Amino acid sequence: MARSRTVRAPTTASLPNSLRIPSTTPSLSKTLGKLSRPALLDLAISWLEDRNVESFPPYLQPSDTNNHDNEETLPYPAAETLAEVREAYINLRDRKGGKQEIIERILEGDWRHGFTLRQLAMADLRYMDDRPASLRWTAMELVRLNDDATSKSKSARDTIAIASEDWSASIPRIQAASFVKSLHAEIAPLVKAHYHLSRSSTLPLTFLRIFIIDSPYQTPRHQPEIFTDATRIIYIAFPDSCPYFYTSSITTSNASDSSSGSGSLATDPRTLQRLVREAIPKALSRPHQRFTLKPTALAAKNLQTLLTLRGPGRSTSSNGAFSIFADAALEGSPLDPRPSNTVLAEEHMRGPRPANKKRSSGSGTAAMTDGALSPDSKKRRLAVESRFGTVGCSMTPAPLDRLDIRLLDPPGVEEDADADADADRNAANLAPAVSLTFTGSDVIGGIRKLAELGVVDPELMPSWMTGEDAVSTAFVRGGKRLRVERG
Amino acid sequence: MNQKAHPVGSPDPQEEELDAEIRSIRAQISTLAHRKRILTTSLLSSPKIKTLLQNQSPTTTTTKTQTLTTLKEDLSPLVTAAGAHTATNHHRIAFGATAFPFKDPAPNSPDPNLLGIRIDVCARNGRFAKPYYVLLRQERGRSGQQHRQQQQKGNGNGKRLCVHRHTIPAFISVDKLAGAYLPLSSSSLSRHEEDGSGSSESESESESGPMKPGQARSSKRKQDLRGFVRELRRELVAWHLRSDAVVFLREKLGLIRDSGSEADANEDEEEQPWGEKRSTPRNDLGIIGLEATAVEARYVRMEWEDGRLGRFKLSNAGLVERAVFMNDRGRDKQIEDAVTGGGGRVESLFERLKGLSAMESSP
Repeated sequence: MARSRTVRAPTTASLPNSLRIPSTTPSLSKTLGKLSRPALLDLAISWLEDRNVESFPPYLQPSDTNNHDNEETLPYPAAETLAEVREAYINLRDRKGGKQEIIERILEGDWRHGFTLRQLAMADLRYMDDRPASLRWTAMELVRLNDDATSKSKSARDTIAIASEDWSASIPRIQAASFVKSLHAEIAPLVKAHYHLSRSSTLPLTFLRIFIIDSPYQTPRHQPEIFTDATRIIYIAFPDSCPYFYTSSITTSNASDSSSGSGSLATDPRTLQRLVREAIPKALSRPHQRFTLKPTALAAKNLQTLLTLRGPGRSTSSNGAFSIFADAALEGSPLDPRPSNTVLAEEHMRGPRPANKKRSSGSGTAAMTDGALSPDSKKRRLAVESRFGTVGCSMTPAPLDRLDIRLLDPPGVEEDADADADADRNAANLAPAVSLTFTGSDVIGGIRKLAELGVVDPELMPSWMTGEDAVSTAFVRGGKRLRVERG
Repeated sequence: MNQKAHPVGSPDPQEEELDAEIRSIRAQISTLAHRKRILTTSLLSSPKIKTLLQNQSPTTTTTKTQTLTTLKEDLSPLVTAAGAHTATNHHRIAFGATAFPFKDPAPNSPDPNLLGIRIDVCARNGRFAKPYYVLLRQERGRSGQQHRQQQQKGNGNGKRLCVHRHTIPAFISVDKLAGAYLPLSSSSLSRHEEDGSGSSESESESESGPMKPGQARSSKRKQDLRGFVRELRRELVAWHLRSDAVVFLREKLGLIRDSGSEADANEDEEEQPWGEKRSTPRNDLGIIGLEATAVEARYVRMEWEDGRLGRFKLSNAGLVERAVFMNDRGRDKQIEDAVTGGGGRVESLFERLKGLSAMESSP
C-alpha cells in the first residue's frame, strides 16, 4: 500500500475534490445505478468537459507502450487521447442500450484508477434533480438576531426616520465560495468534510452537498464504503431571495445505527450533522448582522412543496382558503373589461401572458359538468372551493406527504375535531392529547377530495385541514394552530 | 424497445393534414369567442350605451320601444355588473391600491371579516402584474375574558389592524413594515418581543398591568394604514422597476431575442462541446452576460467577453449605487467610475461605458 508510507498529519483542511475512491467499491456502482442511462451519459460527458476534466482525468494509455500486454485483456482498453474517450461516450449516447454498460465503462474503464469525491457529489446531485422527492426536507428560517434591538431604537425615533428605512427583508447574501469557506472555518475543528455546490437545473435552488467524516486526516483510512453512506451526507438547499433554507432530514437507518454504536457519541453521523446544521447561521452571519435559526414546522418530501410554502413567491403566507390570492385566481388585470366572476379562475391564474389555449380545454369540461350536479352537491362544491381555494388545482402544486396534528383541546369540546378525536375518548378524564398523523402522496388534496365527496363537512372543518397554515406539524387548540416556540 | 424506434402505425399524411386544420380552426374559434366576449363586455360598460338605455323613456307606446324596454330589463343586471366592474378597474388603474372586504371562511376565526388591500403594479410592457394582496384583520385578545373587560371599559381608541395573510414576495419584509406602521398595543408588543415570534395569535390586548414609560409611549403611536400601504406599494413598484431595468439592459445588449424567449448564451455549444463556454457577444461592448443575481433584482452581475466581471447595486430610484468591477489585474476603477458616475442612471449605463471605451481608444 502506497498510502501507508506517506506522512499522515491531522489537518483542518477540507477533503479534496480529487480524493479518489477505489472504483471497485460495490456501493459506487449502486449509487450510479440509481441514475438513468441518459443521466449517466450526461454526467460522463460533463466530466469530460474542459473545465472539469483536469480535476478528474480519465485513465489514458501510458505513452510508453512497453507494459500494455495485460491491458488488452481488460474489457475496456484504455484510450490514448481525451478525444477518444469523449467520442466513446458520444457514440454511446447515439445508440441504445442498457445503463449497466455505461456504469461498467465508467468504473472499470475510464475511471478505473479511482472515482473522485467530486464526481460522486455530481452524481448524487444529478439524482436529486431527476427525483426531487427522493429525500425529506425540513425548512428553516433565518432570523436576524439583533433585529429587535434595532427596531426598538427606530420606533423611538420620528416617523421621518422610518420613512427612509429599507424594507427589504434581511436575507443573507450568499456568495457561494466565501460561504463555504466560512462554513468550513466553523466546522473544520470538529468535522472533516467535503463540500460541493451546485445550482439545480430544474428549480430555483442552490444545493450544497456536504459529506462529513470523523477523521482529521486528509486521506481517511475508513472503508471506502463510507463515502457513499447516506447518513454522512447533508444536503442544504438555498432558495433564491428568501430568508429560508432547506436541509435534508436525518435519515438514519437501523443498520447504520448499530454500526455507529461501537463508536463514541462524537463520531455518530447524527452528531456530526447537528454540528453542521448549527454552523450554517454562523457561517452566514457577518459583523452587525447575525443570524439564528428558527424552525418553521414544515417538512416535506417534495422540494416544490417547500418552495411554494416557504419560498420567495406569493404563496408563502397565503394558503388554503387564501390561495386564491396567491394564484390571483380572483380577478384579472384591471385592463380586462370582463367582470371577474364571469371569467374562469384558471384564466386569471395564467397571468398576464397570452393565454395558452391547450390548458383551458380541461377546465372547461369541469365547468360544464357543474350543471348536472344536484343543488346539494353544488352547494358543497362551492363551500369546498371557498375553503380550499386553489389547493389541488393550483399551478404550483404543493403536496404534503405527512401532516402531524396534536389536538390540545380538553375532551368534550370536540365540535371541530369531530370523527378523528373519537379514538381516544376512553381516557377522557386524563385530558388526553390526541395526535393525528396523515400520510399520503398529497394530504391536503386528499382532505379536499373527502370534502368534495361529503365525508368531511367543508363548512365546519378547522383551517388546519385546508392547509392554510402551511405546516406539516402543528399544535391545535380550538381549531386554531398554536405557535409553539421550540429551541 | 422496437416500438419506440418505429411508431406503430405511420399516420396517414392526409389525416395529419386534416388534424392540423381542425386544430387551427379550433384555435381560431376560441380566439374569436374570446374577442367577442371582450367586445360585448366593453360595449356594455361603454357610457354611450348606458346613456342610451337610460334615456329610453318608458312612456312611448310603439311596439318598437316595447321590445326595447324588455331588452332593457334583460340587460340591466348585466349593465350594472359591467358598470361596477369598470368602476373598480378605473380605481385600480388610477390609484394602484384599493381596498375590498373579504370574509374568512374558517369557522373558528374570532373575527372573520377581513380588510383586503389590493395593489396593482403596471409593468414596463404595459401589462399589469398579478395583483398583490394584503389581508388585515382586527386584532383582538384571544381570551374572551380580557376581551370582554376591554369592551366594558369601552376604550374606543380605534381598531387595531394586523396583517393576517399576504402575497408579498418574501424579500420585502411585511413584518418590518407592519411593525413600523401598524404597531400593536403596548402589552401585545412586549409579548411579541418575549416569545420572539412573529405570531399574533397569542397576543392579548389587555391594557391592565404595570406599564413602563417607553411602552406607554409606543402604545400611543397610532396605526398608519395609509403609510403602510404607501411604503409597501413603493417597494413593490421599485422591485418591478428594477427588474424592468435589467430586462431593458438585456434587450439593449441583444441577450433577449425578439420572441421574448431568453437567448441561449451558448449557441455554438454544439459545434465544440468541450471548449470553454464562451459565446460571441451580440453587441459592440463585448458584454456577454448581464443578469440579476436573485429575484429581488437588487444586484446585477455583468460579464465581458475578455473575462472582466462586475456587479452593481441598483437603488430603488434606478441609480447605480455601488459597483465593483474586476479585470485581470484587480479592481477596474475606470469602469466603476463610469458605471456610478454621470448621474448614475442605470438606463444610460451602456452609453457611459461606450464613452469610456472611446476615450481609451482615442489617445
